[in-house]
Amino acid sequence: MKLHKTCDGVRRRDVLKIGTLSVGGLTLAGYNQLAAAGQVAPGHADRAIFIELPGGPSHMDTFDLKPNAPDTHRGAFKPISTNVPGIQISEHLPKLAQCMDKFAILRGVSHTLAAHRLGREYVNTGSKPIPALEYPSFAAVMSKEQPADPDIPSAVAVPRASQGPGFLGIRYSALETNSSPSFGRPFNVRGISLPGGIGVDEVKRRQSLLQKLDRRFADLEKNDQLLDGLDQFGDQAYSMITSSRARSAFDISKEPESFARQFGEDSFGQSCMLALRLVESGVRFVTVQLGGWDTHTDNFTKLKTQNLPKLDAGLSGLLTGLEQRGLLGSTAVYVTGEFGRTPKINTRSAEGGRDHYPRCMFMLMAGGGVRGGQVIGESDDTASGPRHEGISPDDVAASFYHNLGIDPTLEYDSTTGRPITLVRDGSIIQDLFA
Amino acid sequence: MKQLSTRLFVCCLAAAAIPVVGFRVVTAEPIAPVRSDQTAEAAAIPAPSIQSRFSDEDIDEVPDFQKHVMPLLGRLGCNGRACHGSFQGRGDFQLSLFGYDFSGDHEALMAENTGRVDVDDVEESLILAKPTDADMHEGGKRFEKGQWQYRVLRNWIADGARFDKESFQQLKKLQIEPSEIRFGDTAENVQLTAIAHWADGTVEDVTALCRFSSNDDSIAAIDAEGHIQSGDAGDTHVVVYYDNAVVPVPVLRPISAPTTDAAESIAQRTPNRGEPTQPIDVLVKQKLDKLGIVTSDLCTDAEFIRRAALDITGVLPSGERVEAFLADDTADKRQRLVEELLQSPAYGAWWATRLSDWTGNNAEQLNNVLPVQNVGTKLWFNWLRKRLQDNMPYDEIIEGIVSAESLEDGESYLEYCREMTEICGGDFDRYAERESMPLFWARRNFQKPEDRAIGFAYTFLGVRIECAQCHKHPFDQWSKQDFDDFSTLFGVVRAGNANQVSPDSKKAREELMEKLTGGEKLNGGDLRRKIQQAARSGEVVPFGELYITARGMTDGQKKQRAAAKKKGRKLPPVRVPTGKILGVEQKVDLDEDPRPALMQWLRDESNPYFAKAIVNRVWSNYFGIGIVDPTDDMNLANPPSNAALLDHLASEFIAHDFDLKWLHREIVTSDTYQRSSATNSTNAADRKNFSHHLPRRLPAEVVYDMVVLATGSTQKADQMRGELDQMAIADGKARRRNNSDFALEVFGQSIRESNCDCDRSDAPSLLQSIYLRNDAEMYGRIAARDGWVAEACKELGIAAPRAGAGADPRAAAAQRAADSMRRQIIDRIRQFNKLPEARREQTQKRIVQQYNSVAKKLRKDYHVPSFEELVAAPNTWTELTPPVATEGSDGVIESDRSLEKVVRQAYLRTLSRYPDDEEQQVAIDYINESENKTNGIEGLMWALVNTKEFIISH
Repeated sequence: MKLHKTCDGVRRRDVLKIGTLSVGGLTLAGYNQLAAAGQVAPGHADRAIFIELPGGPSHMDTFDLKPNAPDTHRGAFKPISTNVPGIQISEHLPKLAQCMDKFAILRGVSHTLAAHRLGREYVNTGSKPIPALEYPSFAAVMSKEQPADPDIPSAVAVPRASQGPGFLGIRYSALETNSSPSFGRPFNVRGISLPGGIGVDEVKRRQSLLQKLDRRFADLEKNDQLLDGLDQFGDQAYSMITSSRARSAFDISKEPESFARQFGEDSFGQSCMLALRLVESGVRFVTVQLGGWDTHTDNFTKLKTQNLPKLDAGLSGLLTGLEQRGLLGSTAVYVTGEFGRTPKINTRSAEGGRDHYPRCMFMLMAGGGVRGGQVIGESDDTASGPRHEGISPDDVAASFYHNLGIDPTLEYDSTTGRPITLVRDGSIIQDLFA
Repeated sequence: MKQLSTRLFVCCLAAAAIPVVGFRVVTAEPIAPVRSDQTAEAAAIPAPSIQSRFSDEDIDEVPDFQKHVMPLLGRLGCNGRACHGSFQGRGDFQLSLFGYDFSGDHEALMAENTGRVDVDDVEESLILAKPTDADMHEGGKRFEKGQWQYRVLRNWIADGARFDKESFQQLKKLQIEPSEIRFGDTAENVQLTAIAHWADGTVEDVTALCRFSSNDDSIAAIDAEGHIQSGDAGDTHVVVYYDNAVVPVPVLRPISAPTTDAAESIAQRTPNRGEPTQPIDVLVKQKLDKLGIVTSDLCTDAEFIRRAALDITGVLPSGERVEAFLADDTADKRQRLVEELLQSPAYGAWWATRLSDWTGNNAEQLNNVLPVQNVGTKLWFNWLRKRLQDNMPYDEIIEGIVSAESLEDGESYLEYCREMTEICGGDFDRYAERESMPLFWARRNFQKPEDRAIGFAYTFLGVRIECAQCHKHPFDQWSKQDFDDFSTLFGVVRAGNANQVSPDSKKAREELMEKLTGGEKLNGGDLRRKIQQAARSGEVVPFGELYITARGMTDGQKKQRAAAKKKGRKLPPVRVPTGKILGVEQKVDLDEDPRPALMQWLRDESNPYFAKAIVNRVWSNYFGIGIVDPTDDMNLANPPSNAALLDHLASEFIAHDFDLKWLHREIVTSDTYQRSSATNSTNAADRKNFSHHLPRRLPAEVVYDMVVLATGSTQKADQMRGELDQMAIADGKARRRNNSDFALEVFGQSIRESNCDCDRSDAPSLLQSIYLRNDAEMYGRIAARDGWVAEACKELGIAAPRAGAGADPRAAAAQRAADSMRRQIIDRIRQFNKLPEARREQTQKRIVQQYNSVAKKLRKDYHVPSFEELVAAPNTWTELTPPVATEGSDGVIESDRSLEKVVRQAYLRTLSRYPDDEEQQVAIDYINESENKTNGIEGLMWALVNTKEFIISH
């Protein structure tokens, strides 16, 4: 390992050696002590499904309706009751309404970054983006802190994730599928599926040839970390490719049709089912994307006919499926876009649209230690801002990490050796877990 | 200027143990003392140590705040990050991290109503009471009431706890005894002594006030008192910290005696091992001799051509070139190869990629800098590439960046916009003709003065100064003040988005805009689109401009002054803001562009960093490790592993007018570069003294191109090598954040984002192994119509591989359709089999028809079992496989001799060597035993690109 010094005068190697004895901030050991003493509730989940809604979903037409707001704001949709008395959501989310008891709504979440990429970086890391450094995604942190078994990837993104591993480095990248599964079709994944014509037997044959030919440097291997590492990763890749575990996890055609149908037959629903299969097989973190939320024009038609039915079926299917399989208690689910949308309806198109609006948005949380069937936070009469003190993306990120048993004040060294706190400004939202 | 010399003195010496003027082999001590060799002034007899003085109970000496009190608090750990040095402080008490903010720390200590320092009731002062009482102090007990530390603090408080900013002292030198340590075979101990020499002439033993650390405590462990314990064989430094001084002390323990005998016998066994003559080899050997290490032999010709081609040009040599080189038996063929490589266009391309890394050429950061999207990085790259290809002196290249102007001499704003519009419209190469490259200054992450200070130091100095942004640099002399003074320099340079122009150009720009928009007022996004549209259609559009806001006296002020002078009145002087160049005491007036002064300083031969930074980075490209490592972290506590070597290369580089090709040649033609990776018993553990070749994973772009070249047909590969345009080393692949090429990203292409050479990664990873083994892209390349396997099959007269389905979505869809046909027909046959015998006959005709129709469609691409086979065992056809080669095509291969040729070609084009007999046999057996030979050759290529040997340097 290279001698690498950090700004605070601690050498990397020392950090490794000292391990949990380091003293700055709240260390993992300290955090665990606090957790044991009941001062912070321990995390429950050991895996996660992160649903990204890039584009920025309108909060007022989904989970934060204001039926009494003026015409200029209210919008075309009506609220309906859910299976939790007192909580109402949009009429176009009927299935989710019937499993409201399984998730919590955060209302009046608020920040200031109205550009897609910046907003996304913020909600996907819990830290305000800065040009000098890229913060790691939740998935990368999970892959680092709680890696999966060798024959299965730690993190998978379906089809991609907006946020990369940042300064933690490419080795904590999620495996991106680059495509989404379709209902009833076999699903091919980059590097995991065996491309056309190549069978496991062929791969095994080739591997035995490789082993016979890969002999040079054999006597150096004991001494050399690089050669040793290449061997290790090679073996791991081979076991992932040839073992049926990873391939079977991606093979959604193994699910009974009745089960698959409850997720909806579109690609988002099937991605949610894939996410379930993956976490069930031991993948630690799955990101699923559902785009199309940037409704500057024709907001209501788009939501009603496209996005909401997909989200409704996919997410309700996921929450129900997780519960059916007994996984809800161990799987943290977090759903968010990068911001909300303007409460006042613009008039650029016939039926109107809504524009970027970070001051007020919604997020959803479920699974692990999260108590479902509750609303946390509140927006004002026109959903233009939080009614009281708003919830920050930092708070939500801290809570998500907490739910996964990862100390949000954990410190990493950036590539240049600056100590960086995972979520510096967030505090855990205790009510979520109450 | 006295201070100036002190500062430079400190940093020069850190890296420069022995000044090498011209070339001169210093036979004395190549790892000689770093700072304490300046014995001229050391004649003064140092005051006895503070420890001994304050052991006397009745001492009435008043200690000095800077010299004694703060260093003592540092030594006690009070201002560490875990304690009061934390940015939040501890127990409401905050000290500057690692000290050196004397005024701030004094204020913190004296803060009213805190009781930290109580000059009236000295013993009750918290800084005495707390550290002596474990119960009261979270940080535990630091010293006893009767100890000397207690008396130091007590006497200072009793005297009024004074600190006078005006009496601030410069530390001239921290002399360490012994200045160099060489351990023998048995375990040994050494106590260091530190003597401070102050500018006022006082000299004092300050050992008890220093902090100590070891760069490798397996070789030399050091405790808090400065006591060193020897460990394993090898060499490292222990570092002593006091005031702003950071002094490394070299420690070395040779390989133990018996092994040294072995070393001699190895040395004697090796033929032709004359004394080295090349300066690099001489200097490396001097260090190795001290360690008792014997170098490895020279590498083979096959290893050399691959190593040199990949390191100099980033391009895998073709099989033919390798064969020709191996067949060449002239004595100077290695030198001639090096010349050929240095002259090839790939040299310019590959090094422009490297220089793009160091200068931070990043698409994301250049977003909106130019009115035309996605061309900025291309322009940047081309500008560098031409200069490297032409071998422009390095300092002149850098001058074009550091002192960059948007408008060339005599160019009007309108002319500038016209030319830039044409350039961005596709005439990219013309940008390289422009004198300077202001894009460097316009990056999003290079706007704030502090970010510029950090980025500038990173790029041109190889120094990480960012620690000093918040506190005294823990490993270098930089204080927060130094950082602030330096960053101030950059505030006067304006360069950012496409809308920013100098006041002089404002009018011209507005006219241009008026013409474009017809006076319509447009918001930001619409305006950008409009401009982009116009630029695409060839209309001249406005460009941003780099300009300087520094101003001397305004015309009004000058007039006023002239008038006052006439009348004999005096006006107060005009205040001009000032900044300081790093390590230079003299201020720079910011009444004009400070960049020429910065450039002057950079290229001055006394500059302690500029030449060393590039020399060290180039060296690291060839050896996988810098002489200073990490390469961008030159600091006092991280001295070079071979200072004489770095000095020699840097000073000769300057003497050769910053000639980069000279530098490459000097390195690559040395024996040191040409060592084998096979080690002997003395050098197996050596990783930093260049005694053997260190295998390393090749860089992302190089790996990417290697795969394409190795798997591509001869014609395709030749074309790529000739044109370079499609190659990743020539920036031929997209690089946008979140949208770069998957393989390049996976192999750790530099993200060029965080001012760190570690933005590029050469670490292996799981995704890399998965990619090479099982990505559809890889299968696609191996089986491609314009691939080498197809070429080889053609030569052998056998069927070409079926082009990989996975890479192409249409092919994937076709394959899915084919697979569903397979399942359908199997279902039918299963149903058919379930029928009672009688009914089978009835339906047979129909099902055979169905079978025939499906089989006809599938046979083109896949093997289809016969109808009878399927009826007998429908479950055995589990997946689609390529067609079994048709009648006789296998048998056409006359003998294994043509296969031998194929195997040889495969080896030459992947591993740049011939297979040995065993490998040849294994490969041929594999091909012969394969289902068909086409498959077998594909398998061989797959295996070769998946060997470790393929992806690492030889």
